[in-house]
Order: sequence, then structure tokens, then C-alpha cells
Amino acid sequence: MLQPKLKSKVRCTDRDIGEVTKVILDPLSHEISHIVVSMNGSGERQIEMAQVQDVMEDRVELRAPASAIAALPLFQRHDYVTTHEVEISHLEDNIDVTPGEVLVPFPDLEKDVKRRTFFMNFTHVIAFLIGLPMAYPILRFLMKPMYMPFDNDWLMVGNVSKIKQDDVGVQFQYMKKVKEAYMPEAEVEKSVWVLKASPEVLDKVYQDKDQEFRDASGRIIWINKKDFPYIAFSGKCPHLGCAFKWRQHKTLGQVFLCPCHLSIYDATGSVLDGPAPRALDALPIRVSAGGDVEIIDMEFKAGVKSQIRII
Amino acid sequence: MQQPTISNEPVTAIEKIVAFLDARVGLKEIQAKMLNEPIPGGSRWAYVFGSILLFIFGMQALTGILLMFYYVPTADHAYASTQYIIHEVDYGWFLLGYHFWGSSAMVVCVIAHMSQVFLWGAYKPPRELLWLVGLALFGIVIGFGFTGYLLPWDQRAYWATTVGVEMVDKVPLLGDFLARFLKGGPTPGQMTLSRFFVIHVMILPAALMALAGLHLFLFRVAAPAGPFSGTSEEIKAKTDYFFPRQIWKDMVGMAVVFATICGLAFWEPVVLLEEATPDPGEYHPEPEWYFLFYFQLLRLKIFAGEFGQFMGAVALPVLFMILLVALPFFDKDPERNIFKRPVALISWIFIMAMIAIFTVSSVINREFLD
Repeated sequence: MLQPKLKSKVRCTDRDIGEVTKVILDPLSHEISHIVVSMNGSGERQIEMAQVQDVMEDRVELRAPASAIAALPLFQRHDYVTTHEVEISHLEDNIDVTPGEVLVPFPDLEKDVKRRTFFMNFTHVIAFLIGLPMAYPILRFLMKPMYMPFDNDWLMVGNVSKIKQDDVGVQFQYMKKVKEAYMPEAEVEKSVWVLKASPEVLDKVYQDKDQEFRDASGRIIWINKKDFPYIAFSGKCPHLGCAFKWRQHKTLGQVFLCPCHLSIYDATGSVLDGPAPRALDALPIRVSAGGDVEIIDMEFKAGVKSQIRII
Repeated sequence: MQQPTISNEPVTAIEKIVAFLDARVGLKEIQAKMLNEPIPGGSRWAYVFGSILLFIFGMQALTGILLMFYYVPTADHAYASTQYIIHEVDYGWFLLGYHFWGSSAMVVCVIAHMSQVFLWGAYKPPRELLWLVGLALFGIVIGFGFTGYLLPWDQRAYWATTVGVEMVDKVPLLGDFLARFLKGGPTPGQMTLSRFFVIHVMILPAALMALAGLHLFLFRVAAPAGPFSGTSEEIKAKTDYFFPRQIWKDMVGMAVVFATICGLAFWEPVVLLEEATPDPGEYHPEPEWYFLFYFQLLRLKIFAGEFGQFMGAVALPVLFMILLVALPFFDKDPERNIFKRPVALISWIFIMAMIAIFTVSSVINREFLD
């Protein structure tokens, strides 16, 4: 690309006509489209780059005679804005109109500094030494509430007199006390599904084995006996942690159905349909002589095949 | 035709102040540079979404700051303070409704903006970085929606978060840690509310402002891509500056969005459900409408079981994002005309159709649940 310089003399085929005062840029192609020539006192003319024969160090040669250039209309400054007033990306990569470089002296004090790389690395080391002791405290600070010991207390959730029929899920709502961080102890409402199981259902649930529950250290805290007729299922769907309900299904009859992602379980808790990866989670349950149902409120990780207790 | 912005003698007090500032910081030059951005091929309605997103963000920041004057981010006060905003504070219902519907508008306009860039082939070299920062901003918008949803602390909020965080839990190896880290415990509670609040009102706004600034900077550095067809002469002949025609179109777009959000806030006011608790009662948990398609997708049998859940909750969205990130690096064909890029066009139609179909089917599914 031809790069005519400002102040270059402009020569026509027959004689000199003046000097370059402005260059005009195409904003899309970033190429110089015109030069503006001051005609030695008789106004400015705008000349297409196609008219430019050659660009030399301090001279621009045109293809046309001086009379043809003088016949062009006068340059209209108000049709243009300067490049300072318009957003043209990568302008300096494409055009070189500044006559020569503009320089600033290097400060004397800087001239003797030999180990610039050392100082640069030193800066990085200091920044690292500031950051490093912060990282672990920040992580621990944020991790404080993440893991907490399991709560193995028995909670009273209701009375078996609420259950009228065998093998039908009955929802028991109860309040659980929670204490988080500095907050005063609060109560949240939770629910558990209890059913009085027929021997066939018990067989399917326990498969002839008592079910053991352990605390975090692996010590057995409770055993659900295989012939004990009451079963409590955690209210949390093992798919993604929603809450399922006992519903009449068109073809499957009465089932546990999770309204979120449509996992379906039968009265034994086994998956009949939908995306759930495992059966419903049975909880430790005991019933007093008066029929009061007590459970240990446990929750297990959703979305995995095996039962992993989280609270 | 743009007049040269050379100041005349200042006369009025305001002109004098402007002249004073101009002499010191080059105000007029900055203003001229902001407005005089050549738009190849001229202004278009298709280009309005970027400006509209900036406008929506500004309004979300304004309404969000106002809501914080009354909102209390604790498990025992979040619900009551939100109800107080809705029912007691003058125009609280409006500002909360605006903030609520503004988030939907944000998601809609982000999808429109990304679609426009995709269909116009404007992500292609040399605009890769612009596209990448845009994807990060998309992630931030989703993050805003997810964290903001919990703050009213009603049943809807609680269950959307419960399920959303369970999805994070499906990340291999790190999932359990990440989910607990987000929740601040094994199950959602006060710590979750605190964390989501801080993320929603501090971390994400800071990140969005920084990245949106970078996005604009990169946009100005790379210059607008312009139309995907036409000869350079045609494009040059139609080229104009950002001001006034594009700004006019942007302003009309903003006004339409503003009126729509106001209308929704007025006719579809925010109504909270019961206060959050781990027992949903008769409520059927559901995410916000723009996540319904994904919610429905996770009901598919192919996403059943432990591996299926990993595929649905983690692999699918991560792969989709990786695909979008890699897009400008493997799609090096300089052809930008969408009608000459059949794979791109079919992919876009397929994704939009899937979103529409799954959204509709999740809505249809509702009636079978009662």
C-alpha cells in the first residue's frame, strides 16, 4: 500500500502543485483512499489514490497534469472527522502518516539499572508470598460449615393410628431442630413416609436380612428387624433430592411418585420407572407400646447407586 | 453527515463547564469516539441485543440495590422481608416484580444476542476472544438466575436450589466437595442462603462488570463484523456510525424491553409460595421457565441411573459449553453467510427446537402430576 507522508511535495506530470496536508482513510478497508493537497494558496483539493503514480521519501507523483487537479472541486473539510474522533480499530497497524518517530528521553536514573529481570521476578515472588498465606485460610474459612457430625437422636414423628391400610404410604410430618453456625436453634418441617408392610413387602425390602445402621465411626446404632412391620422411607428422592408423594398411577397402581423427574417406586421402595439410580432409603424406625413412631432422621446422597449418609 | 466537533466560544454556564472539562480530559473527543463507530453495512435491528443487555443489567443493579434496603438474607427473615417488600413497602411489588421479570428478560436477550452472533458468523476470527468473553458472561447470567432464585426463601426457591446443587454433586471426584462448598453444609440452609446472597450481590456483579467492560473493549478493538453478505462496495455505501441510527434502534429496543418488563411486573406480580422447608407439602418443585427444558430433559430414561445422571447433569452441559468455546477455533471457514453454512444453521434450529419441545412437554406434564 502506498503511504504518502504529510508535508510531502506533490508533483503532477508537468509541475509541482503544492504539498500533502491531509490523508483520508477508508474506515472499513483501513486503506488510504485520498490525499488532500494544498495548492500553494489556491485552496485544497482531494485526490484519489488511483491518481497517485508513486510515493517517494518526500515527494508524491501524480498521473494527471496540474490543470486537471486544479479543475477538481475544493476539499470540503466538514464532510470528515479526524481519527481522534472516530473509533477505527487497528488504525496504527495499517497506516503510517506520522512523519518520523516521536521520542521521549529515558531517565538518567534508569540507565544504570542492570538487573531489570531480577526486579521483575522479585515483584512476582513478593506477590506470591502475599497470596500464599492467604489461600489456605480463605479456603478453611469458607469450608467451616461443610461437614458436620451426624445427628443420631430419635425423633417422634406421629402415631401408627394414622395408618389405616397395609402397604400404603402415609406421610408423617415432623419438626426437626437445626442449629447452623451462630444462628439460634431453629425448627424446620420435614416429612417421612411410613407404611405398615405386609409380609410379602417385608420380604422384598429386607430380603431375609436385618438392616443395620451405623454412625460415622462404623459403630452399629440400630437394627431394623426383618419381621418388624413398620417401614419408614426418607422423604428425599434418591434421584436429585426432591420430595416424592404417594399417588395413584394409571397403569402401575399405587406408587411413590416424584413430581420432579418422574421417578416411580413401589411400596417396597424399589424403582419401577424413571431416572432414579436406587431404591428409596429406609430409615431406622421404632414404635412404642402406645403406637408412637420414632425415627432417626438421616439423609443420603442423591443420584448414586449406593447409600452414602450425609446427615 | 457528521459535523466536526470543534467547540465554539462557550456562552452559557453549562457550556463553560463542558469546555472546562473538555480542556482537561478531552470530553468531546471521548464522546465523539464513543458515538462515531463505523458500522459496516449500516445499523440494523438485529444488532440491538448487546445494548439492551447492558440496559437490563443497569436496571437489575438499580432494582437489586433498592431491594437490599429491606431484604434480610437470613433463614428466619428472608421470607418475611420479601413478603414485606411485596405487601408493605410502597412500590415494593413493582421493584421486586421488575427485578424478577428483568432476570427473565436477561436470559431471553442473552440467547437472542448469542444467536445473532452465531447466525451472522461473528464469532469467527478475529473475534474469538470476544466470543469467549461473551460465553463467560452467559455463564454469569445463568449464575445470577440460579443464586437469585433462592433469596426469597420460599418453597420454589428452596427446591430449585436443592435440585440444582444436587446436579453439581454429580461432577466426578470434586462433586461432593463443590456441592457442600456451595451449600455451606450437607443440606440447604442458612449457610446456603448466605453464600448465594454474597455470590448474587457481590461476586457476580463485580465479575459481570469486569467482563462486560472487557467484552466492549474487545468489540471496539475488533470492530463490528457487519453483514454476512454483500460486496465491499455495497457494505461501504450503507455504512453509518453508531450514532444516530443504531443508537435510535437500540433505544427503541430498550423501551420495548422496559415496557414489557413493567407490564409483566404489573400483570404477573411475584407471588411467593409457603416459606422454604424440607417438606414441600403439595407443591411440585419446578425451576424457572427458562430451565424447564432442561428439567424435562433430566426426566428422560437415557439419563437414568448413576451414569445417566452424570451424563445428563454434568457431561451434557459441559460438553455443550466446550463445543461453544471451541467453535471459533475449529470453524475457521471465513464464510459468514448463514445460508451457506448448513451445519451451523441446522444445529441452531435443532437446539432451538429441542428447547421449545422440551419446554412445552414439561408444561404438558404438569397436568398429569395432580
